[in-house]
Amino acid sequence: MSDNELVLDEELRDVYQEVTNVAMGQAADSLARLLNVFVVLPIPNVNILEAGELQMALQSASDNESVSAVCQGFIGKGVAGEALLIFNDSSFQDIAKLMKYEGEIDDAVQLELEMDIASILIGAFLNGLAEQLDMSFSQGHPVVLGQHCDISELISSNSARWSKVLTLEINYTIKDYNINCDLLLLFSDDSIDRLNEIASYLLE
Amino acid sequence: MSTPVLICDDSSFARKQMARALPKEWDIELSFAGNGQEALEAIHEGKADILFLDLTMPILDGYGVLEAIRAQDLPTMVIVVSGDIQPEARERVRGLGALEFIKKPITTDKINEILTAYGIIA
Repeated sequence: MSDNELVLDEELRDVYQEVTNVAMGQAADSLARLLNVFVVLPIPNVNILEAGELQMALQSASDNESVSAVCQGFIGKGVAGEALLIFNDSSFQDIAKLMKYEGEIDDAVQLELEMDIASILIGAFLNGLAEQLDMSFSQGHPVVLGQHCDISELISSNSARWSKVLTLEINYTIKDYNINCDLLLLFSDDSIDRLNEIASYLLE
Repeated sequence: MSTPVLICDDSSFARKQMARALPKEWDIELSFAGNGQEALEAIHEGKADILFLDLTMPILDGYGVLEAIRAQDLPTMVIVVSGDIQPEARERVRGLGALEFIKKPITTDKINEILTAYGIIA
């Protein structure tokens, strides 16, 4: 793929979609066991976007509700990426209930719940992804991107330095509860070529 | 006579992976479907004595296929192959009449084990 190309080869898209499908299933299973719920699995979205488009894609995912988000960097075999977990703020009431937290849900409590779920979902997803690609990822510390904010505020400052981004997007919802979160894996420029190379081994 | 076997998955990569994992010595007539709707058509055409079925698919998903098979009493044995490994997903497909549940990514050993357990291969 040339540097300027923003189109993903169909065969590779299919591979990414399938490995994402398997990894998101493993992550959902971890969450389902923690919360004792059933996680509804969507068909994942795989796209190559320009930085500006990423913002639009996120905007449509959030339904214009205020959100809170955590991100965590990871790296392995020359591939660096960011995992982003974005919650609709209205999710935390039910998350607290399921985590058996009693008492007022202030920002500190919400943050703790957010971090707990992020570490489980992101950790399990990355393990599942790495296993299928026969590699391993080292993970950085999770970082809070923002609480109760508009989604456009989240990434405007972060995405400006990227010209194009490969996104794996999974929208998790939980059956019978008002919980909605978006897990996004973002790979930028150089990492896309390297990841394409690794993923193409699976096609042989 | 060769056994008609159908692999139904929306990912062509997953279909290939699945086909590669089938035992080499198994005498089959292999067909493919890209969604549940296509799978039901293939079953009607007698192409699926055994069906390897994905769950998460567009148009008609795996649960929908299982429901249709049961409602119409279609002659096929279903082995669900899915990335959704939650206990509730397993129970649900068993409840809908699937013979077995195999988690993705698929391995030849696991397929051999199941086909042997059901006396499909010796």
